[in-house]
This record gives sequence, C-alpha cells and structure tokens, in this order.
Amino acid sequence: MIEILETPPLNSVQDLGRLGFRCFGLMQSGAMDRLALAAANAMLGNDLDAAGIEVQLFPLTLRFNADGMIAVTGADCRPRLDGWELPPWWATPVSAGQTLTLSPPRSGMRSYLAVSGGLDVPMVLGSRSTQLREGFGGLDGRSLQAGDRLRNLDAARAVPRDAVGFGVAPSMEALPLSPPGASAATEVALRVIPAGEYEDFDAASQDIFWNTGWTVTAQSNRQGYRLQGVPLRRRREVEMRSHGIVPGVVQVPPSGQPILQLADGNSAGGYPKIGVIIDADLWRVAQAAPGRVLRFLRCTPAEAKHASRELSDYLSLVGNQARYLLRHRERAG
Amino acid sequence: MTERVTNLTQPRVTFCGDSALLLEAEGALSLETQQGIWNLSEEARGWPDVIDVQPGMNNLLVTLDPVRAEVEAYAERLLAAWLRIPRSRGLGRLIEIAVAYGGPGGQDLGDVASHHALSPQEIAALHAAPEYVVFAPGTGTGFGYLFGLDPRLFTPRRKVPVQRPVGGTVLLGGAQSNLGTKQRPGGPAMTTTGWYAIGQASDLPTPFDLACDPPNLLTLGDRIRFRVDRVEA
Repeated sequence: MIEILETPPLNSVQDLGRLGFRCFGLMQSGAMDRLALAAANAMLGNDLDAAGIEVQLFPLTLRFNADGMIAVTGADCRPRLDGWELPPWWATPVSAGQTLTLSPPRSGMRSYLAVSGGLDVPMVLGSRSTQLREGFGGLDGRSLQAGDRLRNLDAARAVPRDAVGFGVAPSMEALPLSPPGASAATEVALRVIPAGEYEDFDAASQDIFWNTGWTVTAQSNRQGYRLQGVPLRRRREVEMRSHGIVPGVVQVPPSGQPILQLADGNSAGGYPKIGVIIDADLWRVAQAAPGRVLRFLRCTPAEAKHASRELSDYLSLVGNQARYLLRHRERAG
Repeated sequence: MTERVTNLTQPRVTFCGDSALLLEAEGALSLETQQGIWNLSEEARGWPDVIDVQPGMNNLLVTLDPVRAEVEAYAERLLAAWLRIPRSRGLGRLIEIAVAYGGPGGQDLGDVASHHALSPQEIAALHAAPEYVVFAPGTGTGFGYLFGLDPRLFTPRRKVPVQRPVGGTVLLGGAQSNLGTKQRPGGPAMTTTGWYAIGQASDLPTPFDLACDPPNLLTLGDRIRFRVDRVEA
C-alpha cells in the first residue's frame, strides 16, 4: 500500500511493544508515544496495537499504491497529501498514486502514521515492532529506507462520512498537565513515583530533583534521554545488584546527571533509581525534544492509576467518535 | 574508589513507577536465594494482571497492567509469596568457554590486576576457577547475568563508562562477571560500559537465535565454566 520515497534514518515500524519477553533480555521496543499510535489506530477502527510508522526524523515522503485510509497523530508534522495540508490528528481516505509528506514539527518530536488494517510485517515474539538493537521485527529488523514497500493487513472498507476525513482532539489538548508556576510552552511536566534508592539521595538532592528543571540533552533517542541539571548526590555509594528496569526509570549514574531509560533501553541495569515516570506520562517524554526542560512532579500510585484511567477514557472516546463517523458513512452508502 | 556491597537484613518490595514492582532479597548474594527468585518468578507469571517477570541478581521485577492492577496490593502479595516460596531447584546444562585473558579483547586486565595487587595470571586463574550460574537475563539477548565470581575479584564499576568491543568479551563489574554476546552481522562493534574487559572468548556459541525454539541457548540455572586459553599481559 505504501512506498517510501524519502526518509532520514531511524524511522521505523512500531506497534505498542513486545511485552512478555524480558526472559530473553528484551526491553519492550514499540512506539515511544504509545498513546498517539493507539489513537491513530482507534481513528481507523484498527486494533489499538496495530503496527504503524514512527517518524522521528523528517521529512518523510511516501506514496500510496492503493486506496485506503490513514491517520496521522503525534507531533504536528504538517502532513501534506498531494500538497494539501491536513489538520493535526486527522484521519482521511487516500487514493492510489497520492503522495504524503511529513515535515519537521513545530513542537513535539515524534509523529505516527497508521493505515487501515495496520502494517503487514511479520509478527516476531508477539509483536511487529522493530527491535533495532537486536536487528529483528518491523521491516527486516531495520529502519525504513527509500524504496521500501509496506503492505497493510486486510481492513473493513470503512470510509469517513465526510470525504475530507475527520479529526480528534490531540492528546496534548485533551490531557493537559502544567508544571506549577512555569510556562507549559517551555517546560514539560511529568509525574514521578519515588523509586528504591530515593532515600539514598541527600535532602538537598531530593529537593533539587523535584524543584529544578532538567534539560533534555542532544544525547537522547529511543534508548533513553540524558538529562542535564544540578548534579544529584547520594549519601553513600554502594555497588548495586543488577535488576530489571522499566521504561521511564530515572537512573542516576555517578556523574549525578540523570538518565531516562525508554522503549529501546536496557532491560536491566545497576544504577540507582531515584524515581520512575508513571506509565500515563511516557507519551509526554516521547514528545520532549532536546532542549526542552522536564519538571518532575511527585505522584502516588493512586494518582498514577487515575492518570492511566484518563488515558484509556481518552482512547475510548477517540474510538467511539471514529466508530460513529465511520459507521454513519456505511449506513448512507 | 569506594566499594561497598549492600546486603539487606530484610527483603523489600519497592515501586518502579505505577506498573512494576522490584522485590529485593535479604542477605548476601547467593545461589539458594536465586533458586527462590526463579521459583517466585514462575509463580508470579501466572498471577492476574501480571504482564511480565524478570529475575535479576537476587531480585525480581514484576510488571503489571497499569489500569487494572492494584500495585500496592501486589507489593504485599509479592513479599508474602517470597517469604514462603521454596528455595531449592535444580541446575541446568554446563557449557565450557575458552578465554584469551588480556590482549586486545581484554584490555582492562592490567588495570584490574593493579587494583587487586595481583598478577594478570592470578586474575585469570581466579576468574576461571569457579563454575558460573546463569542467574538472570542480561541487558539484551545473550548469556545473561552470571553468578559465581570470587569475592577477591569484586571490582567497583567505573564512574565514567567507556567503549569496549562487542563479541564474547569477558567483563567484571561490581560483584559480578558477565560474558558479552556475539557481535551481530551489521550490528555495533563497540558498546558503552562501566565494566572492565578482562578477556575474550574464542569460538563462542550463538546465545540467541530466533530460528531456534527456544531462541536462547542458555536458560536460567545453566552453568558456564571458563577455561584459560592464554594470558597476555
């Protein structure tokens, strides 16, 4: 259905991740902004974990070789379909021969393209996500290149009521989270639950962790982000035993500058953990480009559960809206 | 260099965010404790709303569904299960790996020898003496985290990570020693690590192959014996 005409490196096929294979040392991979990919799939009536394209470097240009339907979500990359600019978080029918171009976003970091039915790449260990480090999954275990052709799985021939398509509220608008007393335009608030070694940090460092900003450095990618701020110090230094870690963990190596491990990060490690970003806020991390300043807000498991429910409510709403808009057309036609 | 290994007097369960828990066992790092960890990991995999389990070095990560699981209730359940889980279990197969200690693949052997005030030959002999047990999955596919390092070789991890070659590298870090995976065709030749490279395995078997069922060559409880092929200062 798709032929890639132009792409920088490191854009790849991802679904919601390869869960359940930590026994092989595998971190979950999958979309960095799982919410955006799930919403794009919901807009098309796909399974939420259908595979799409994660675009983190631009411009990406592709051509459709068959009629179908697409949705573009995540960072607003000003998608142009044969030159016509689509609004953000938009689903639209496409025709064979049309060209789609995604341009560098004004804000945000990663955009997602979903196709009706989802991309048809082999399922490897329960997922279609590209495992770049191990070289499997996705399209031949690698990033996309010009000339690549991707098919989609069979999909219901649903088309939107309105021929130009429809949009949904972007996650950034539907699920706002403001850092206290700071500008949301420059800072990204993230809710964090203190982790196992939190109490090992001295009181001054605990205070610095919650009350100062952490800049995303250029050494940031799907594996993890290195952050820059006032160094964090522990009361005592101990050799940790290696242990499993999760995406969103804030590790503090001896330099005192935190590291976030993310979708393609290490599945295990030995650095002390000061906290872990809650699951419901990982999509915000995915959209924080180098230079953005992160603010950590202390959170409890109960508050995190509430945030997770808000996320699933939002996805349900997107799915319900899409079902209505798609079903309406089927009745009429 | 400060060097201290913490031993908890009591087991503890801590939050890793809202959808994972880490159980850390009490006492010194031991095989008996790890046998309990493996048993607990098998049991916990079957609990409702558990997505995955991952043994570490005398610890166990349990990941949970963030919407459905009550993480605080699971913390209590995990700790209670740990206190009653049997701590015995059989070990698996043994493989032997020949190692060239020192030289280009083990460039940190000299530094490690100086740190311990031993000769490179003594480091190699101490390292190759025990039988190592695959305790836990590693940071990627491969031979996993190994247990069995002689306490005389405990070496604090570097404060600043360095680049070391990929491909059967024998590493020391803290109280642990690992065997690095094979270099994948087209994959990176170097890796960033805070561990010390003391040798390199020749004729290394492939530890992970999706064409095999199961894809991993070694599983938890399997054993590795290193043989000193040669020592280059």
